[in-house]
Amino acid sequence: MKQQLKISVYEIVGSNICMASDDGEKVYKQIASALRSGVKVILSFRNVDTLITAFLNAAIGQLYSEFPESYIRENLEVSDMDQDDLALLKRVVETAKAYFKNPGRFNRARKEALEEDDE
Amino acid sequence: MNIYIQDINSDYNGFNSLINLEHQLSELTFEEIYIDMSAVNWFDANMAAPFGAILYKTSRNSNSITICNTTSGIEKILSKNNFLSYYGHSRKFDTYRTTIEYRRFETKDSLDFVNYIKMYLVGKGLPDMSIGLRRKFELSLYEIFENAVVHSNTELGIYSCGQYFPNINRLDFTITDLGIGFRRNIKERIGLNISSDQAIEWAISEIHTTKTGSIPGGNGLKLLKEFISLNGGCVQIVSDRGYWQMKYGNIISKSFLLPFPGSIINLEFNTADSKKYQLSSEISPNEIF
Repeated sequence: MKQQLKISVYEIVGSNICMASDDGEKVYKQIASALRSGVKVILSFRNVDTLITAFLNAAIGQLYSEFPESYIRENLEVSDMDQDDLALLKRVVETAKAYFKNPGRFNRARKEALEEDDE
Repeated sequence: MNIYIQDINSDYNGFNSLINLEHQLSELTFEEIYIDMSAVNWFDANMAAPFGAILYKTSRNSNSITICNTTSGIEKILSKNNFLSYYGHSRKFDTYRTTIEYRRFETKDSLDFVNYIKMYLVGKGLPDMSIGLRRKFELSLYEIFENAVVHSNTELGIYSCGQYFPNINRLDFTITDLGIGFRRNIKERIGLNISSDQAIEWAISEIHTTKTGSIPGGNGLKLLKEFISLNGGCVQIVSDRGYWQMKYGNIISKSFLLPFPGSIINLEFNTADSKKYQLSSEISPNEIF
């Protein structure tokens, strides 16, 4: 069995535009399937020129719901991304890590803030 | 039946007038409705997006709509952006190419929306923005569109329209959906019962998302807010009874008497912005996870 799998985002989405959450879900399924089998993933964004957070949340952010941070760090690499897209992905990853560490925190924090405002 | 409307600017009063119009129209069915624009001397072209959404919803309630008595100036501005073509008027050629035409999209049309934006931003006379600014501008619009796709549950589409004002270096772009709005989305997804204006602030603030399953979220509108703040532009959000505006960094939050049946996001970009929008330090792919 392969120990490493290169996944082309362009191939899965079929477009240079990575925008829809549904397309992100397709990429997520491919990555998650490989990671579950213990196969390291190199995710290539070659030929992708439009990337937004809704897509990245679905494709990569939700990995943190299933896999530990350290496992993702050791088994997932990204390639062929420019600096702006790397910055966007880093932000999505940081939000996902915080969210899955304590999903209730996001909503409780604001609920409390709003209740204080109303007092 | 004749319905008269007044001037429509991209501001609280303009949105309020459109909300009042929607409430006048929302109970009608099997009516022949004449929207009389004889008293309208100014109509911000980008506001064709919420105006079109309201009229589309009215048509879907089995009414026929005619737009009549437009002054020549209003006829010109709303024909150049193709809005009036939906109501039987002829399209006028946009000589100076300052319009981004009025369009209606379904939620499955994300790629069409991208192609529409790209078509108008390249070689169409719209401002010669720096590459970094143009990219930020494009991505902001895509984030808003996809936000409507994911969160609004609209069954009546997503509407957009833009107008460039070269003399003041501003580009206004409005996206409207006829979905459940921020307040209901928050209530239904996470059970938080807050007012409409609070709901907008909640959605645009740093710390949360209505995503409750395995897909995290909550970055799109925050990125937009950050970018517009740096750009020196303006964001206005209308959802249900809520109104939120950030202009030159100053925030206003208030309510309307009546609700809008969905959400409107209006962006005003400063096209003369010369910032490079480059990252302060290089990010390595090895530092992401």
